[in-house]
Amino acid sequence: MPSLRELQSSFFNSIAHVPGGGSANFDPGLVHLVEGRGQLGPQERINIYAQMYYARLLEVLHEDFPQVATILGCERFDEVGRVYLTCHPSTHPSLRYLGRHFAAFLDTRPEVASLPFLSDLARLEWMREEVFDAPDAEPLRLEHLQGLSADEWPDLRFQLIPAFQVLQSEWPVHEIWATAEEGALDRGCARLEKTALRVWRDGFAVYHAKMDAIESVALAGVQAGKPFAAICAALEFIVPSEEAASAMGSLLLRWIEDGILVRLPRK
Amino acid sequence: MAFTVPSLGHGVGLRTKHFPHLWEGTAHVDWFEAISENFMIRGGRPLAALEKAREVAPLVLHGVSLSLGSTDPLNTAYLDDLQTLIRRFEPTWVSDHLCWGSVGGHYAHDLLPLPYTEEALAHVAERVQTIQDRLRRQILIENVSSYLTFSHSQMPEWEFLAAIAERADCGILLDVNNIYVSAANHRFNPEDYINGVPADRVGQIHLAGHSNMGTYLFDTHDGPVIASVWELYRLAVRRCGRVSTLIEWDDKIPEFTVLCAEAERARTIEMEELERAYAKSA
Repeated sequence: MPSLRELQSSFFNSIAHVPGGGSANFDPGLVHLVEGRGQLGPQERINIYAQMYYARLLEVLHEDFPQVATILGCERFDEVGRVYLTCHPSTHPSLRYLGRHFAAFLDTRPEVASLPFLSDLARLEWMREEVFDAPDAEPLRLEHLQGLSADEWPDLRFQLIPAFQVLQSEWPVHEIWATAEEGALDRGCARLEKTALRVWRDGFAVYHAKMDAIESVALAGVQAGKPFAAICAALEFIVPSEEAASAMGSLLLRWIEDGILVRLPRK
Repeated sequence: MAFTVPSLGHGVGLRTKHFPHLWEGTAHVDWFEAISENFMIRGGRPLAALEKAREVAPLVLHGVSLSLGSTDPLNTAYLDDLQTLIRRFEPTWVSDHLCWGSVGGHYAHDLLPLPYTEEALAHVAERVQTIQDRLRRQILIENVSSYLTFSHSQMPEWEFLAAIAERADCGILLDVNNIYVSAANHRFNPEDYINGVPADRVGQIHLAGHSNMGTYLFDTHDGPVIASVWELYRLAVRRCGRVSTLIEWDDKIPEFTVLCAEAERARTIEMEELERAYAKSA
């Protein structure tokens, strides 16, 4: 008789290690141990678990990567998903982390040859998952800045909320995402175009938006912990120096409106 | 040794679709059960919803990944996350399933069946004790629906469940729908199951819908409780008395009012059976 450990290994290997299942791949030792009462034999009974394994996990991947699934089509997505699950079985008790290797996995897949933006689209979708349940933080509001004196501004250091990430891509993935979300599968928008996106959560809602060069430089300064004056100085390389401060002011207003900055420490 | 938890009445599982009712003040229910793993996160809407739920009604945490029967070492990071949730949300109790779900560090995210052997009994009872020591509280363990049984099992499932509960000194979450599903799939009498568990250790009852797949019943939680399961619930009430009862509905989730109507039906049935028992004793 197998030990409990041997039984569990045999069971897991039988239901999880063959994409699509198939009773021919079940461990004969396990089949021998399963009772076959009623209308179902041992293999059919094990197969219920094998079918459930892939159905459940593929459903989670569909939920986490809806636009990748739309672009690939359900059948092809399931095919890719099954191989992914074989290469990357879940190693976390929560299904929340099942798709964490999916974008990198797509880089290795032949599907990417005809859809080269696909892994970056998956990265965007995963980032949206990440910011959805990232830690909360009190956002900076305009009124929090009203008491500041002019002398304090140059040394001000802003901090981004934890529910904020930046995606760099060679593709306009935000446009591809929007096209897929509308269900319009026009791949014409998949042209090479360097794109920087910010992904964030405001309240409970998750957003993403394209950044221009000015915003990218300014946000990189905030991420690096640079003071306000240093970020303005960095902007002088891409806008006329007399416009740097006002450009930074406009960005600040937009960031505050989007809730991506943390409230400054109280004095 | 004993097991006691308060009777919370008739509750429903807390699901994302119904979160808006928490903020709208329309989540009128005796108590909520939340899936622990869904809230082992760092922020955002789910945790805010759980805070709201706790303000509205008593809350219990129900896990799906403790993997009580696994031969892998206990996942201490998971237990730490569970403890963090317990400290923050102070659930009335915590439960998980009598099954296994992981081996070699890989998770099936399913409730996989155990052989009912002395080896498995000793193993699970010890793990439940270790978990209870670590969490500093008794937990409840739930019988699962199953689609296969092992020929080397040495006892029926209800004896296995009862023995673990006694040996580990834990509570039982009796899932009446799971008993019905497994009884049909393995051809045993579901009444034997309900009569075979120690009534004084049953701290919670689950009710749910299932699907008939032609050659077997499948625990889908995607519809109302069927008449035969309500009848079994009557027997469970007669045997266990007033026990906190919860309606599970995880797929094709209906409007909140439909879910609450199922909970109300459970309340009516419980009342009928308790009144009948009282009349008989008087």
